[in-house]
Amino acid sequence: MALSRSSALEKLATFRTNNTRASQETFQTASVILKSAQKLGDDGWAVLEQLFLAAVDVGRLDVADQSLKQLADRFPESPRVDVLTGIRMEASESPEVVLTYYAQLLDADSANAAIWKRRISILRRTGKVEKAVEELTQLLDTFYTDLDGWLELADIYTTCNQYHLALQALSHALLLAPQNPFYVLQFAETAYTAGDLPLALKTFLVVVDMCERDLDAPEHQPAAGVAVRAWMGVKLASRRLMINSSPSASNTAVPKTLNLIEELATERVLSAYAAKGAASRGGKGAQGKDVVVGWVGAR
Amino acid sequence: MSGFVSLYLDPQIRDWVLFPITLVMILVGILRHYVVILLQSPPKKLPREAVREQRALTRSQVLRSSAANSPIPPTYYKSISRHLSEAFEAGTYLKDGPPREGDAPKAPPNPMSDPAAMDGMMAGMKTQMVMMVPQMVIMGWINFFFQGFVLIKLPFPLTLGFKSMLQRGIETQDMDVRWVSSLSWYFLNFFGLNGLYRLILGGDNSADSSRDMTASPFAAAPAAGAPDFGKLFKAERDNLEFSEGLYSWVGEGVEDRVLQRYGLKSP
Repeated sequence: MALSRSSALEKLATFRTNNTRASQETFQTASVILKSAQKLGDDGWAVLEQLFLAAVDVGRLDVADQSLKQLADRFPESPRVDVLTGIRMEASESPEVVLTYYAQLLDADSANAAIWKRRISILRRTGKVEKAVEELTQLLDTFYTDLDGWLELADIYTTCNQYHLALQALSHALLLAPQNPFYVLQFAETAYTAGDLPLALKTFLVVVDMCERDLDAPEHQPAAGVAVRAWMGVKLASRRLMINSSPSASNTAVPKTLNLIEELATERVLSAYAAKGAASRGGKGAQGKDVVVGWVGAR
Repeated sequence: MSGFVSLYLDPQIRDWVLFPITLVMILVGILRHYVVILLQSPPKKLPREAVREQRALTRSQVLRSSAANSPIPPTYYKSISRHLSEAFEAGTYLKDGPPREGDAPKAPPNPMSDPAAMDGMMAGMKTQMVMMVPQMVIMGWINFFFQGFVLIKLPFPLTLGFKSMLQRGIETQDMDVRWVSSLSWYFLNFFGLNGLYRLILGGDNSADSSRDMTASPFAAAPAAGAPDFGKLFKAERDNLEFSEGLYSWVGEGVEDRVLQRYGLKSP
């Protein structure tokens, strides 16, 4: 029993550090732990908060209310509990009520970033996108290093077809996390959608460069993971550039070795799909293979 | 001379002097830890504008830190860099807004009249007082009751250089360095108990007073006080210009790098 309890605690701690949203599992594990043991020490409060969030997520508002009450009794004036109260209200109250609650909190402490962000999320959810963008830019002007904020802003702009603004927001995200190829890929795809093909091609190549930098012999193994998508992007962009070279909004030059790159991309995409087909039995993984081969072969 | 014990220590000294001094010092340290926790005022909440002013410099620092191999293309880099430079010049990020025409240049605020700076200084003073007062009382207590006591004999020999450290308060030329006087025992505890506190109270305790000896409340105050952000911003503009010279996009020549890796292009 003691062993399983400590392993369960460990699991919850891993969920916390990795920000895993396995709500059903968290809910079950945490409620068992809290029932079986009275004394958990300071770790118990973190587990309680976790249980609260998971309970809201799976719709067990009664459990959520219980844990929120315990937390509120223990930490009466904590801003963190205020955020939890707001989340609980969002689950059942109307957006207007929650917005007034958040407005009160922001009046008391105008630099409370967590409340501010929740407010923005409600604004976006209720369709007041303009207001949400305005608040979000203000938030990012104050808390520049908020990476998630920049990604959210880029997402909002993308849904509104404002690709150039989205690219600007993404470039800030890139500055804040230059080591993450996924953000670069998002930048490249947004540039492709915006019609800036030379920029997209270059950025796709940057992703490829990032992913395959540490491989000893990349030509002998098929592309994997995010690199497949990047190679596909290279192929798409270079093909369209070969047909007609469109002007670039960012004045990026088209590489002189465009033909070579196009050939290489074709080869890489094909090898990636061939490997996928071979690896999975039953041909399920190779489902897209025929389509891809047909498309790539068509030129 | 050596080989037999030249001094005989009454065990009562051990029971009634050595142990009490150590015990009192440990307890005072623990008490001090809790008093400091009580005295700590919660961090003051800053309004939005002040936070923005404080963090404005990180914007350009983030931009500059990767300038030599920047992840963003030239047009985007230039627009951000220029925007920041203009904002710093105009003072957009200042807490009170950009300075208006005809404003007299502000004199640096006097820390005695500025309540915010005063608070910071008082907090430093308070912890200092909690440190100084009990230590002075203990030292006075030892000096008054146990002056000139020899408390223990160290089980290992030492050179003469340690005499002033171990036999403070005893003016005897000939005594073996291994004997430790009461005042020296106090100092040994004063500097040596930190490890014990860490065991009892955890890593970041405030029981250890020897650490505070180096920090003076007045020396810390100006460093913590508000820097002149207007001047900092102006200085940051030069850094931005410098980084713009260093700037190169990571996508510059990336196609050649990829082709080289596949052996399709000679380096």
